[in-house]
Amino acid sequence: MRAAASGSGGAFSSGKGLNKVKNRTFTVFVWGISSCIVLFICALLFLILQKGLPHLTWDFIMGLPSEMEEGGGIGPALFNSFYMLVISLAISIPLGMAAGIYLAEFAPSNKLIGFVRICVEGLASVPSIIFGLFGIALFVEMFQIGLTIIGGAVSLAFLNLPVMTRVTEEAIRAVPKEVKQASFALGATHLQTIRRVLVPSAISGIVTGICLVAGRAFGESAVIILTAGVTTSGEMWDFNLLSPGETLAVHLWYVQSEAIVPDAVSISDKAAAVLVFVILMFNVVFRIPLWIKDRKNK
Amino acid sequence: MKLFKSLSVAAMAIALVTTSVSVAGAASSLSGKIVINGSSALLPLTLQAANEFKKLNPKVKISASAAGSVTGPQSVRKGIADIGAVDWDASTDVPGFKKFDGQVANKVAVIPFAAVVNKNVKSDSLTTKQLQDIFSGKVTNWKDVGGADADIIVVNRAFGSGTRVNFQMKALQGSDFLSKGSNYKEVKSSGDMKTAIETTPNAIGYIDLVYVTSSMKALQINGVAPSEANVINGTYKVWGYGYYMTKGKPEGAVKAFIEYIQSKKFQNGSLKKLKFIPISAIK
Amino acid sequence: MQLENTAQSTLVGTKSSSTELGGSIKAGSGKKFDRKNRLLFYNRFFKIACIASAAFVCLILFSILFFMFRTGILTFRDVSPMTFFFSSDWSPENESYGAFIFIFGTFALTLLTLLISVPLSVIIAVFLAEIAPKWMRNLLRPVLDLLVGIPSVVYGFLGMTILIPLLRDLTGTNMGDGILAAAIVLTIMVLPTISRISDDAISVVPRKYRDASYALGATRFQTIFKVIIPAARSGIMYAVILGMARAIGETMAVVMVIGNTPQLADALFKPTSVLTSNIVMQIANVPFDSTWNNALYMMGFLLLVISLLMIVIVRLFQRKGAQQ
Repeated sequence: MRAAASGSGGAFSSGKGLNKVKNRTFTVFVWGISSCIVLFICALLFLILQKGLPHLTWDFIMGLPSEMEEGGGIGPALFNSFYMLVISLAISIPLGMAAGIYLAEFAPSNKLIGFVRICVEGLASVPSIIFGLFGIALFVEMFQIGLTIIGGAVSLAFLNLPVMTRVTEEAIRAVPKEVKQASFALGATHLQTIRRVLVPSAISGIVTGICLVAGRAFGESAVIILTAGVTTSGEMWDFNLLSPGETLAVHLWYVQSEAIVPDAVSISDKAAAVLVFVILMFNVVFRIPLWIKDRKNK
Repeated sequence: MKLFKSLSVAAMAIALVTTSVSVAGAASSLSGKIVINGSSALLPLTLQAANEFKKLNPKVKISASAAGSVTGPQSVRKGIADIGAVDWDASTDVPGFKKFDGQVANKVAVIPFAAVVNKNVKSDSLTTKQLQDIFSGKVTNWKDVGGADADIIVVNRAFGSGTRVNFQMKALQGSDFLSKGSNYKEVKSSGDMKTAIETTPNAIGYIDLVYVTSSMKALQINGVAPSEANVINGTYKVWGYGYYMTKGKPEGAVKAFIEYIQSKKFQNGSLKKLKFIPISAIK
Repeated sequence: MQLENTAQSTLVGTKSSSTELGGSIKAGSGKKFDRKNRLLFYNRFFKIACIASAAFVCLILFSILFFMFRTGILTFRDVSPMTFFFSSDWSPENESYGAFIFIFGTFALTLLTLLISVPLSVIIAVFLAEIAPKWMRNLLRPVLDLLVGIPSVVYGFLGMTILIPLLRDLTGTNMGDGILAAAIVLTIMVLPTISRISDDAISVVPRKYRDASYALGATRFQTIFKVIIPAARSGIMYAVILGMARAIGETMAVVMVIGNTPQLADALFKPTSVLTSNIVMQIANVPFDSTWNNALYMMGFLLLVISLLMIVIVRLFQRKGAQQ
């Protein structure tokens, strides 16, 4: 798939010494910087995982939180994280993809569409705290439903919508024109082309987008503190959309900033490790089908 | 059919009577929803009480959250919350905040505060005057208050924090804080204050006594150490009440909940374990 | 996903199996006309659904803008715009609402962050897309994606407990809090975003460009800088915008390392404050309907306007670049 150009550069390069030196230096430079950053990132991840993972127990993952004794768990918060993630993705993926497809495929290139693009990018740059304030105005003050799971999930979906839109648009645009034209030439309608040709070809980019969005939603705290609160209903498996919806990231914040339990530090270490681990799982689960597909195509 | 109808009506009537009786008798069939918002420092207490209360009254739903002290009475005024947790008596004027008319302050706990410093600071005790000078920026070096020659790093809570209001009123006796300078910073929560004091050499700040750990030093104020005993015997003055604000006198489930928190069982049990001081201990 | 489903259901009726692409013409069972109409209908319906979604995204932006503006504009009942924008005296306790420090701080912090993060991220992206061996690429991409999901609270906490003491030891300053610490934390946060999206943009540059460049005798260095990066410019630009947006809007991590003192950020190590950190520090603690509250909303509105302006400017640059 990708250009396997590494190493072949030498064979084609002209004998000019300066270029060769430049090229060599450049390669060494990029390798150097990249390995430094990669090492740094790995150290960071290792630091987070190593502090928490070895001490994880099933009781901690599924248990109810405690306010005064040691040994509180994160069960309801973890459940809320997933529950809210699923709801927010169910809103943001279809809407975001549809908007992205529109911008990539249907939209004429005029001033209005240019304006729409700026809107999408503008929305992507709205700070999360402002989505939180907006969520309060919408759900707490206008609909008067208080701090709820549904309020948090919808605010999260708003936060993720522009990223999803933009990533889809970019991914679909990147599909070579020939492929699309071939589909049209076979008599496929526009919808058929999009569904059967463009989206499958762009799926790698779109999945990257979904991973980004899911990760961000999973780790987001500012929006949820404001729209879904910092408490859970205190029960496991509470599917009620109107329950307060503290997520794991919020619980982490709460434990770090206000909790009085003696093992607060250990809880926050473990919670952070669980968060990172879950996001790792997302990436693996979303990507395995892609890898398999890639293999098949070869 | 008719027989069935009348039977069911009778059954319902009986059920109604029994429920009303049991409401009068025990609180176990109370129902309703209580929304609590406000001070984050009181949140652990609220959550613990809510858990215990829900076990006794399974039909009562409690939804507790926290953003900042003043959010409590404000949410009550707006009708978003039934109880507003706040660390000062919001039915009176305090520095920076006007009183909230028509709200009743229900005392729920006594919260002691401590001035804390990083472990590298030599001083163990400061007078009120010295604290005022440090927090207003008049004294900027530890050697001026009997310590080593080092700049004082002042860590403050943001304006509006309940801890800040209490510390200003009780420890600094109302004198102003400095608000800028290259050795001055503000933090957002008790947890951040704890981290900042623990990791910054020469730093001074203040915090709820609950959060004081062995990796920081709590200062004596005018020679009196911050401790539960000294608060109760009246020598340590830097403490405040935690309040639940309600719109008018509390009623129904809200009343039952506040009464539960104020009950001997909770005050001497969980509340003590959370390192607050029972309200009845103060004379 | 849902899209796929609705599309699937359109298919069920057509009775055509996987060879549907070409089959659309010859699928004639006497109902050719119906089928054509139905396809037309689905196409139109799909297009309208797409337009509606795009419109919805815009609608959200405008409702947010409107909502921030409606509350924010009330500030100017009590404070003159001149004072608000150009005075650097922010002490709401004494009724002074000058937001200049925060506006300046936001620009300075964003600029500093981009200065550090963009070169690093583009290098990483080039490395991932062009230089790294395949197995490494497959390993590193998920690792980078992982970083995006680490909650900002964790970054802030690590910044507070590891980075700041480190900076203090390295430079000998008293505190270490300030714009440099915030920029470093932000760099770590935006690095995966910028590098992953740039990486995708570079990866989709058609193979033939590379081949052509190598065939002309260009070295890898030349190919990357003269061919691939220019070809992927739009995607990289978008990555930078996204990274910038995150840098401007990040709150929870910044607030833990910037010091939160309303004074001008004229040095790298001086506790200061930016728009977001000031909003998040104070929004929970101000009385509703007060000038102070309105001023914070005005700052939120300003934040939006700044990021929108930056995007427009980047777009203009891009268009100019495209015309040349």
